[in-house]
Amino acid sequence: MEKVDCIVVGGGLAGLSAAYGLASAGLEVMVLERGDYAGAKNVTGGRLYVSPIRELYPELWAEAPFERAVAREWITMMGDGAHTTFEVAADRFAGETPQSYTVLRARLDQWLAEKAGEKGAMVVPKMKVDELLRREGRVIGIRAGDDEIGADVTVIAEGVLGLLASGAGLRAEPAERDHAVGFKEVIELPPATIEDRWHLNPGEGAAHLFMGAVTKGMLGGGFLYTNKESISLGLVVGMAALKQDPDQGKCFSLLDEFKEMPQIRPLVAGGTVAEYSAHAIAEGGIAQVPRLYGDGYVLAGDTAGLSLNALVTVRGMDFAIASGYHAAQAVLAAKKAGDCSAAGLAGYEQSLRQSFVLKDLETARHIPRIIENPRLFTHYPQAVSRLLESVFTIGPQPSRRLVKTLWRGVRKDFLNVATLKDAWQMRKL
Amino acid sequence: MSVDVIVCVKTNPDLQMIRIKDRQPVLEAIPYKVGDLEKNALEAAMQLRDAAGGGTVTALTVAEGDRKVKETIKEALAMGADEAAIVSDPALVGADPAAVAQALAAAVKKIGTYDLLLFGEGSTDNYTGQVGARVAELLGLPQIGYARKISVTTDGVQCERSMDDMIETLAAPLPAVVTVVSEINEPRIPSLMNIMKAGKKPLQEWTPADLGLDAAALAPQRQIVSNLAEEQDRKHILFEGTAAEQADAFVNALLNEGVLGR
Ligand SMILES: Cc1cc2nc3c(=O)[nH]c(=O)nc-3n(C[C@H](O)[C@H](O)[C@H](O)COP(=O)(O)OP(=O)(O)OC[C@H]3O[C@@H](n4cnc5c(N)ncnc54)[C@H](O)[C@@H]3O)c2cc1C
Repeated sequence: MEKVDCIVVGGGLAGLSAAYGLASAGLEVMVLERGDYAGAKNVTGGRLYVSPIRELYPELWAEAPFERAVAREWITMMGDGAHTTFEVAADRFAGETPQSYTVLRARLDQWLAEKAGEKGAMVVPKMKVDELLRREGRVIGIRAGDDEIGADVTVIAEGVLGLLASGAGLRAEPAERDHAVGFKEVIELPPATIEDRWHLNPGEGAAHLFMGAVTKGMLGGGFLYTNKESISLGLVVGMAALKQDPDQGKCFSLLDEFKEMPQIRPLVAGGTVAEYSAHAIAEGGIAQVPRLYGDGYVLAGDTAGLSLNALVTVRGMDFAIASGYHAAQAVLAAKKAGDCSAAGLAGYEQSLRQSFVLKDLETARHIPRIIENPRLFTHYPQAVSRLLESVFTIGPQPSRRLVKTLWRGVRKDFLNVATLKDAWQMRKL
Repeated sequence: MSVDVIVCVKTNPDLQMIRIKDRQPVLEAIPYKVGDLEKNALEAAMQLRDAAGGGTVTALTVAEGDRKVKETIKEALAMGADEAAIVSDPALVGADPAAVAQALAAAVKKIGTYDLLLFGEGSTDNYTGQVGARVAELLGLPQIGYARKISVTTDGVQCERSMDDMIETLAAPLPAVVTVVSEINEPRIPSLMNIMKAGKKPLQEWTPADLGLDAAALAPQRQIVSNLAEEQDRKHILFEGTAAEQADAFVNALLNEGVLGR
């Protein structure tokens, strides 16, 4: 059997980040990617938080093909007949070292593949790995078609479903409850139009999230990220909720209906749809993170369940890149010590525990169960909008004092048994 | 017996990935790949080599704009070519078929030993269909076009030519130029093992000067003034009613347009 130092399964951000680190240190690395090119099959909402990972590969980020530095955060809560939008701008968001950028994966992944290639990694697209080869429990390489290739360590970064890893018993099968589905379109718009619509200076970007009526009460929400010459617009809906929906077949039209909503229509007006995609998202949080390493292998990125939906922030790409980095460091140490068994690779989990990756997931431990609460997607967006609507309403009758109006709304919608129970739950956020 | 075959290969942008924006093709960040008919030519060359029990298949390309041609041509090596050679120069970007043929002919002379020169009948992107014939002329070799079957014996090459209403069988002495059509075979998809080996196979890089050519003289003589996708008017007709009514109205509209029932 032909053999290399390290095989990376999956040319997404986790796999490419690992390959870049390994090849930089002179290891013989082969990345196998089933798509036509790195990034071809990969879907993301669109915003990469660079702050947490800036120090990991400092030479890379200055020249990365990012779209726009996010300067403004928008959140829209949608009820029936009323909606409320917050716009938050802070100098620090997109100052000298912006904390986050919008990205398009086809471009970002291809670029990172090129960088890994320059360091000596062999990135092979159009190559699907069919099986992880195992001997006495140890992962010893892979099979692709009729070819078997051996490796001291296999980095498994095959994305959210982790079919190879779960097929080999290295993690659990993906469970419905812990996953959501994202539907997304990339809609082309002239840069000036984008900047007008989201109050941006030239080159700056916005992130816009939507809660409430967009998902018809199902767990999830809408997102919109501004790219240079397009916007990424999409919906995320919990898989379990989607399955319970009697109108299941309709899920594909949810995005169309979203675009037709009176709050959204003006935002996408005049745009041309350039791309459509759909993809699963892991939302189970730290409770579903499997064992991260074993004899001859490590798991990285979505395959390791490293993603976090905290409603107002969605993260996965920064975790993918960081876990790829730490995987590479652990493999290098193991190779150096001549021990690629679980014991030799144990440094991987240790460094993830010391980094933001597992710390942030630990902090967010309770979020996945809290956001299962349907009132978050029905009652609250509606109630907030209704309350503010009443504040701004002048009718034929004499008006009440503002405090009275507010108090009535708060008492009715925010001070009942259900909402107090919710508040008690939310203390864990 | 052994057969040495040089396969002239063009690398072109992956057409499947090109989008049209404002009636122009968007070429930014589109990867290049070995042309479709060239893959048939490579497959044919490898079959001839293997049937003869020996020989060398060399993939030869003139880089007309592919910045990563060294990577792209590895696809030919991964398929099973034994060696590759590249002619590149900034002056060759967007070169005319005549200049490409000159560069190829000079490179073929440099390689020296060969029994057969194979080409695709035309390239995947521009399909001028000229380059094979021009090279044959420059080298003074016999040429057979539209080949859908090739066999080589010590006497020469025999080909079936795919014509509209007949099949012609032609023979020529070696060395000869043959341009192939897609019917000739089903090109193989490289296996992982062969992709791994491809990186270690010999790869020659030449500039026009290495081949005794003046690069400036190869620069394109013509300019593309505009390259626009056809404009299509949409009818914007919306049918209303029940599904059955909509279907009826739709079929009627298609009949009226003359696109059905022809
Ligand atoms: C709709 C949506 C919105 C999101 N929004 C955001 C956001 O705004 N910000 C953020 O940070 N994160 C976001 N995420 C999450 C983020 O996209 C993921 O966490 C991230 O892409 C994970 O990277 P990865 O490398 O682990 O997996 P992937 O990017 O999925 O890469 C896995 C790769 O493995 C390849 N592969 C799989 N199986 C095989 C096989 N058998 N053989 C060979 N190759 C294989 C795949 O083709 C793919 O290229 C979002 C996700 C979705 C779906």
